Amino acid sequence: MNATYDVVIIGGGISGMMAAITLVGCGKKVAVVSKGDPVCCFSTGCVDVLADGENPLKGIGSLPEHHPYHLVGDKGIAEALGLFRGIMSAEGIPYVGDVHANRRVLTSLGRSKVTCLVPETMDFSDIDPHESLHILSFHKMKDFYPQYITSRYAKAAYSTFDAGVTTTVGIAERFEDSDFLDTFTTWMRGLAIQEERIAVPAVLGRGSSGAVYHRIGGECGRTVFEIPTLPPSMPGLRLFGGLKNAFLRRKGDLYWGRGIYSVEKLGNQIEAVTLTGPGRSTRVEGKAFILATGSFVSGGLQASRDAVMETVFNLPSYLPPGTRDAWFQDDFFAVGHEIEKAGIRVDASFRPLGTEIENLYVCGSILAFSEVMKYRCGHGMAIATGVAAAKACMGAYSGI
Amino acid sequence: MIRTDVIIIGGGSTGCGIARDLALRGIDHCLIEKGDFAAGATGACHGLLHSGGRYAVNDPEAGADCIAENTILQKIGRKCVERTGGLFVRLPGDSKRYRDTFLKACDAIGITTEELSPSRALDLVPALNPSLEEAIRVPDCSIDPFRLCMLNITSSQKRGGLVLTHHTVTAIIKEHGRCVGVTAREEITSDVKEIRGKIIINATGAWGDRVARLAGGSVPITLSKGSLVVTNHRITNMVVNRLRPASDGDIVVPNEAVCLAGTTSIPVTDPDGIGVDPGEVDIIATQAQEMLPDFAATRLIRTYAGVRPLLQSDGENGRSISRGFRIIDHRDGLFSIVGGKLTTYRLMAEKMTDTVIAVFGLKRPCRTAELPLEGQEELSGYPLSKRLKSLEDIVCECELVTADAVERVAGQVGTRYLGDIQHRTRLGMGPCQGGFCTYRALGIMQEKGKMTPEESMGMLRDFLQRRFKGIKPALWGDQLREEQLIESIYLGILNMEQEQ
Ligand SMILES: Cc1cc2nc3c(=O)[nH]c(=O)nc-3n(C[C@H](O)[C@H](O)[C@H](O)COP(=O)(O)OP(=O)(O)OC[C@H]3O[C@@H](n4cnc5c(N)ncnc54)[C@H](O)[C@@H]3O)c2cc1C
Ligand SMILES: Cc1cc2nc3c(=O)[nH]c(=O)nc-3n(C[C@H](O)[C@H](O)[C@H](O)COP(=O)(O)OP(=O)(O)OC[C@H]3O[C@@H](n4cnc5c(N)ncnc54)[C@H](O)[C@@H]3O)c2cc1C
Repeated sequence: MNATYDVVIIGGGISGMMAAITLVGCGKKVAVVSKGDPVCCFSTGCVDVLADGENPLKGIGSLPEHHPYHLVGDKGIAEALGLFRGIMSAEGIPYVGDVHANRRVLTSLGRSKVTCLVPETMDFSDIDPHESLHILSFHKMKDFYPQYITSRYAKAAYSTFDAGVTTTVGIAERFEDSDFLDTFTTWMRGLAIQEERIAVPAVLGRGSSGAVYHRIGGECGRTVFEIPTLPPSMPGLRLFGGLKNAFLRRKGDLYWGRGIYSVEKLGNQIEAVTLTGPGRSTRVEGKAFILATGSFVSGGLQASRDAVMETVFNLPSYLPPGTRDAWFQDDFFAVGHEIEKAGIRVDASFRPLGTEIENLYVCGSILAFSEVMKYRCGHGMAIATGVAAAKACMGAYSGI
Repeated sequence: MIRTDVIIIGGGSTGCGIARDLALRGIDHCLIEKGDFAAGATGACHGLLHSGGRYAVNDPEAGADCIAENTILQKIGRKCVERTGGLFVRLPGDSKRYRDTFLKACDAIGITTEELSPSRALDLVPALNPSLEEAIRVPDCSIDPFRLCMLNITSSQKRGGLVLTHHTVTAIIKEHGRCVGVTAREEITSDVKEIRGKIIINATGAWGDRVARLAGGSVPITLSKGSLVVTNHRITNMVVNRLRPASDGDIVVPNEAVCLAGTTSIPVTDPDGIGVDPGEVDIIATQAQEMLPDFAATRLIRTYAGVRPLLQSDGENGRSISRGFRIIDHRDGLFSIVGGKLTTYRLMAEKMTDTVIAVFGLKRPCRTAELPLEGQEELSGYPLSKRLKSLEDIVCECELVTADAVERVAGQVGTRYLGDIQHRTRLGMGPCQGGFCTYRALGIMQEKGKMTPEESMGMLRDFLQRRFKGIKPALWGDQLREEQLIESIYLGILNMEQEQ
């Protein structure tokens, strides 16, 4: 099988999908090839932009010289995030927040995490320790233990509902059933909750949580919010589901569960890639390619005992100096391990440095110096560079 | 104050073995261990029940002890010994002369050997280097050190022996020049207990000299660190040794679902706070890869290190009871027992208990070699088939540990620590190394009222820190990938490092 596209995107994470949606939005014919579930499925679903300071966009200026955010600029970042919000709203997963202001969400350990844009179900998650809170938990739920939270909040209590299942996804699926939702709300009303806010682990429905969320809030007359759980996390899965649907709705082609078997080059151009996977080999041609295969977690980068390599095109990768001993600090809780700087360095139009290839662009967490954990810029950086790489690609190939 | 006849300090294989022997001979005793059982060299060892082959050439007496004890343990400890068998493989370039010496030496001390052609050896262990010259089969086995300790302790507890884990002996009480008791401090509460006894046995291995010094004595040892790496699956179902004089990284031992490869030998001065250097991991991986080429592409999930106490040459105050280990009579009611191996723990315990019996002027024979270890019946709940029954409830996906199993252990008397659950269920021992399930196990402990949330947060922090220390030297490939995920979960999703 042979297929031809304007742009082929390798890697269907948040960065690749944002690039893809930007391109199809401009009428391009686009394919996304992706090996497996991206990292955003494991995430809280919140969009971190930059955790340092009150206004994340203001902090960009003080990031180290090579940070990929500098290639986008604060205006570009704000625009990309606006685009993201528009897409998610249209998919029924509205985000709240202000790109100029960080906010906090409550974590499953009773800590609060700094982030920027959050799904509406976490709008009321920024809670002070002296406020009263009632947690609705689930019997034997594997990945949520309310005591971790109630112990840190003087006026917090919890009640436990037996959903008949114990996994996060299992319980979320039960909420898609209206009888179950009725039983749950009846139980909840019976509790006659006195506390000001109600928190629920993030299981309020699988796809769009809106209906369940608003129903529960309405029934109890309290502000309700979801607490993100360990992976697999529903807000993360909803985020990914939203992007995927948005892309398919705009008639993009998705090659899911497929990796890259081989790459065909002609001169300084990549012409096509052949995909791995079952059945006949699939050959995908493109005028331009965008690499968005993520960092180590997703396999975009791979480390051997003393080197780091990029796994699709074998692009030259930046590796921090020193032996493996220097890759990590000794303290697990120390943020900013050197190895996080590893990745692909690009020029101002997101083209990889140190290679002859001309029609390749790179975005997302595979970029060198992004240091996502250190700066807490995961989704923000992926969205901003995804949109920017797509634009750079269109700018250079006005013909496509 | 607690009164007993014999106080044992140290809950490694030696201490636990002595507790069993004393119990079977009807002597009242109390064992005190600063961590959990097997917290020292015992839990950090290679898990090889030596056939003695490794020592046959250089130290035939130790080799003879090994084969005798190996045979006994296969009989009395079926549930903690896996009869894997072992191979000594000769690769191109390895001396043929050494092989002849090896065969003769094994024969002399009664180790049965079988010479195997390369193709026969490859049938047994397909992952072997196909260019091997030959292999020699010996009765090496794999042994679970933690379970061994638990089973020995069962005999003690059944007969009224008192066991204090998570208690550090901080002082030895002396009156009129004799040791009459110890004080021990509980790990978390810092409660101090006084325990009085007629004889005190110092079975603290690498800590032996430190403990002897509490009573003004000394133990002539030097310390040597050995490091090991854990693979994410079983590359070989038999123990694989290199047929050449012992050196770094030339043994791979299958153990439950994984393999352990090592070791190194590096002099250290402090038995605490040791770690593994990335360089050691590279040496071990390179050596193991010569015998088992697949090792190069195998994911290493953890590293760990233990400290061996090496006996200094026969001092005058020491009486050499048997080769490889020594019982030191400090002549004030304190005895130290040092050296030896996990494989010879029972023999060491027998000799130590003989000494105690003689001091008490009694005549009671040792029966530990005939009686099977008690408590093995209860271990039948362990097989995978049983663990798979309630898949719904799995909290540790890597090792298939169910919520019920965690709740059962959490509910038992004496369970207070995360390690208690990990050791008794194997929770957290698999490829993710507790990254996911620890949060759950501690959540269940809180639910059971076993610990306060502050305690559990402390344990979670401590666990993640220790886990990272073990993983860091081998962080590349897929394990680095897993680590990035775990880091993002605890520091990202849960925002754990934030202090309030
Ligand atoms: C557990 C966890 C929680 C997080 N939580 C948050 C959070 O709450 N907020 C936040 O802002 N950030 C968070 N982050 C960070 C953020 O999720 C990531 O930085 C971001 O999602 C990375 O997106 P990406 O598009 O660059 O790459 P990825 O999401 O890694 O996507 C890469 C994709 O490429 C595919 N791929 C890889 N190799 C190939 C190949 N050879 N061929 C084809 N496809 C391939 C992969 O299968 C994957 O689907 C979290 C990260 C983790 C690990
Ligand atoms: C890397 C390595 C690999 C090995 N591999 C093998 C092998 O494969 N096969 C084999 O047969 N042998 C092996 N050995 C040897 C074997 O592990 C030891 O000989 C054996 O485990 C020693 O047991 P022990 O009880 O004497 O000492 P330990 O297991 O060290 O026990 C001493 C205990 O005393 C406790 N303690 C210390 N101070 C105090 C205090 N003040 N109060 C209370 N408690 C205290 C410690 O916490 C510790 O649990 C290996 C050793 C090492 C280091």
